[in-house]
Amino acid sequence: MFKDSINGLDRVLQADIPSGSVILVTGAAGTLKSGLVFNMMTSYLDRMGEHGLYATLEQTKESHMRNMECLGLKQSKNLHIFDYNDLRAEWRDQEPNMLKVTEDVIDYYMEKYENLTIFALDSLNALYALTSPLNLRRNMYYFFSMLREKRLTSFMIMETAHFGNSVFIDDPTGRPEHFLADGVIELGLLEAADDVKRYIQIKKMRSSRHGMEKHQLVVDKGGLSVLGSIY
Amino acid sequence: MDISLSASGNGSTKRCEMMKNSEEIVQDSDEFEGEEYRKFIDKIVKSNREIIVLSILADKPMCGYDLIKEIFTRCNVFLSQGTVYPILYSLEEEGILRAEFGRGNMRTKKYFVTTKGKEVVEKKLDGFTRAIEYILLFVKR
Repeated sequence: MFKDSINGLDRVLQADIPSGSVILVTGAAGTLKSGLVFNMMTSYLDRMGEHGLYATLEQTKESHMRNMECLGLKQSKNLHIFDYNDLRAEWRDQEPNMLKVTEDVIDYYMEKYENLTIFALDSLNALYALTSPLNLRRNMYYFFSMLREKRLTSFMIMETAHFGNSVFIDDPTGRPEHFLADGVIELGLLEAADDVKRYIQIKKMRSSRHGMEKHQLVVDKGGLSVLGSIY
Repeated sequence: MDISLSASGNGSTKRCEMMKNSEEIVQDSDEFEGEEYRKFIDKIVKSNREIIVLSILADKPMCGYDLIKEIFTRCNVFLSQGTVYPILYSLEEEGILRAEFGRGNMRTKKYFVTTKGKEVVEKKLDGFTRAIEYILLFVKR
């Protein structure tokens, strides 16, 4: 289960993430968003024998894997990575409908692997940049609904701007993801005079017991670990 | 028009016949009940997209963009980028295809059928043409 996928994650997730939920993972650059999701997925898939799909819209698969290896993470043989870079380079003048492309990619992998149950999109910001802003809220509602209908537990990674000890969505107006998502996991940096600590906080998790305290997030030998509350 | 596929000869003869036939069929599509015919072609291409991709790449290596254009030109069917690129990546992982950047072009990867892949392609095409032929035996009037 997800709450046991990372050492100490059960400190913040007291019950498991309900399957088929759409979870937003937000944070500024360097807060380990991709690492957290990759760690949760790879550990879960190795244990459960299910399949997962990690879609990377900006980083190449090679660059993403280099970063994961630096965190001590290895790719599960059941985790499939789809890299949009070739597609984006070759179709740069055509502006394909990326929401439809993403749905087709998911359908392909679900057809190929019967028990594909987890999906991650890295990142939602990139998807927005490649998607028409017209009817964004409606389109994202249908996109999230599509993920739920397919019974996929989905992680939407979203980069936010970081100012001091507060975290802001760079443009909260018209950004519907916080309302549409079933859960929000916030990652951030807390800066003291001579120290910076990474933290994890569950801001929202529908139908699942969770703590709301900020807990320290660290990189250990075999991946990430959640330590005690940092208040 | 006879749309049956010859099961005789080696795989590459069959492939050429299949391609030639498909081009003729598309050109002569007006002879058929347009809408119904299009739906059949659309279904056949979409449900056999991997074999279509392999048969085209076995004849000529190309990138995902050109492959989608080629399928559209030959069959008048648009296969979404979201279906074609995962096929290319999966076949590459399985060692059936290999990808290479073009000379002086680091943006576009061309896909080639590998030596191992050639055997797989021949087997798949052979199975495909025999299955179509079998179906045609009892649906043909």
